[in-house]
Amino acid sequence: MGKPKAKVDETKCLACCGCISVCPQDAIYWIASKAVVDSDKCISCAICIRTCPIGAISGEGF
Amino acid sequence: MKYDCVIVGSGPAGTVTARFAAEAGAKVLIIERRAEVGVPVLCGEGISRKIDNWGMIEGTRWIAGKMEGARIYSPDKTCVTVSAKFGGDETGYVVYRDIFDQELARHAVKAGAKIMMNTKALGLIKENGKIKGVKAKHLDEEIEIKADIVVGADGVDSKVGNWASIETTLKPNDLETCCQYTFTNVKNLDYFCEFYLGKEIAPGGYIWIFPKGKNIANVGIGILASLSEAGMAKKLLDKFIEKEERLKDAQPIRFLAGAVPVALPVETVRDNLILVGDAARHVDPITGGGLTHCLEVGKIAGEVIGKAVKEKNFSAEFLSEYETRWKEAIGKKMKRNYMVKEILLDMDDKTFNMLADSLKDYDFDEISTIGIVKALVKKHPMLLMKLRPLIKVAKES
Repeated sequence: MGKPKAKVDETKCLACCGCISVCPQDAIYWIASKAVVDSDKCISCAICIRTCPIGAISGEGF
Repeated sequence: MKYDCVIVGSGPAGTVTARFAAEAGAKVLIIERRAEVGVPVLCGEGISRKIDNWGMIEGTRWIAGKMEGARIYSPDKTCVTVSAKFGGDETGYVVYRDIFDQELARHAVKAGAKIMMNTKALGLIKENGKIKGVKAKHLDEEIEIKADIVVGADGVDSKVGNWASIETTLKPNDLETCCQYTFTNVKNLDYFCEFYLGKEIAPGGYIWIFPKGKNIANVGIGILASLSEAGMAKKLLDKFIEKEERLKDAQPIRFLAGAVPVALPVETVRDNLILVGDAARHVDPITGGGLTHCLEVGKIAGEVIGKAVKEKNFSAEFLSEYETRWKEAIGKKMKRNYMVKEILLDMDDKTFNMLADSLKDYDFDEISTIGIVKALVKKHPMLLMKLRPLIKVAKES
């Protein structure tokens, strides 16, 4: 089991671009106007979780 | 498909660049990943009155309200009122951004630019290390758009910069994370933009109320991402709204989330490539306002692209005229305001309260640095000490 990864709740995501702009790993990208985290690239830094203005990103155990 | 210039992004920076490049004779294509220019609106929709002097947009359809001034509230709700005459540079109009953007796009098209919607840039076309255009996906079809110059006008989360090895990832202390309601049935609105400051209200940012008409207003918040927790922006905004008497019977007709760079600009030129607007961090680090900058730098970018096409010279050296000129236009102010942003972040609520108390009766129509300093010292001599770093920055610039 690796570290828990950030996950976007796509029903909440409003495509504000915040998480994508701050991700130091370039691990977040768009699919159909929703942010999606590439779990292979995610280093569990939680910056995107803290940045999301509406709390649409979570990561258990961070 | 071969163009002189392909522009990624149909926001104001992209379409103004397109317009002036096309007017100078360049064959221009704008690609936009969304299905409508200007939609969804991701903006507080305030713009400086400076736009009146530029002749880039006519008519009044894009104007929701002409502001008479601004009110700035300190953490203890002391109000400093600034008239439009002084504050107009920051608060001039509240606009309908969708119509505003579409008007700018109309001018680009009139000048000869083409627009391709539903077209997402996937990467750069490179031949022997040289940028030769953009790979993109139009609906379901992958396409190649050849061009001598690629313009990254792809916003705060710019990828075009990264593809050309310009570091555009923002640090959390250089990004405001935002959300905003547009409310209808707001009571007792007048034509003043309001700003609410305070570490409890909006850490590292502010809450705004921008009126869009008699009883419609944008009510939003921006907080510094480095001071944010998951969902904090919305929680703080909802808390503010709950207590705001004028919003008691109001209902939201729009909710949006956004992100604003409050950073120093990045390098904006490479061989065959230019960055403009939010992608280049052309945003005022204090106010988070970027619309007028986009228009200013877009015009410069377009003119330089026009020249490059005529001279058939697309080298970074030739295109650097763009960087030199935007630095002359807004570079100094941005650098200074970035330093001021850092100083403001270190100031506590008490200092903001003292500041507001000193300035609440100040006549901003007759603004002078000496006058302001006198007003500050008269009421709260301690402020002089607290504001020393600010005064130093003001003197240096």
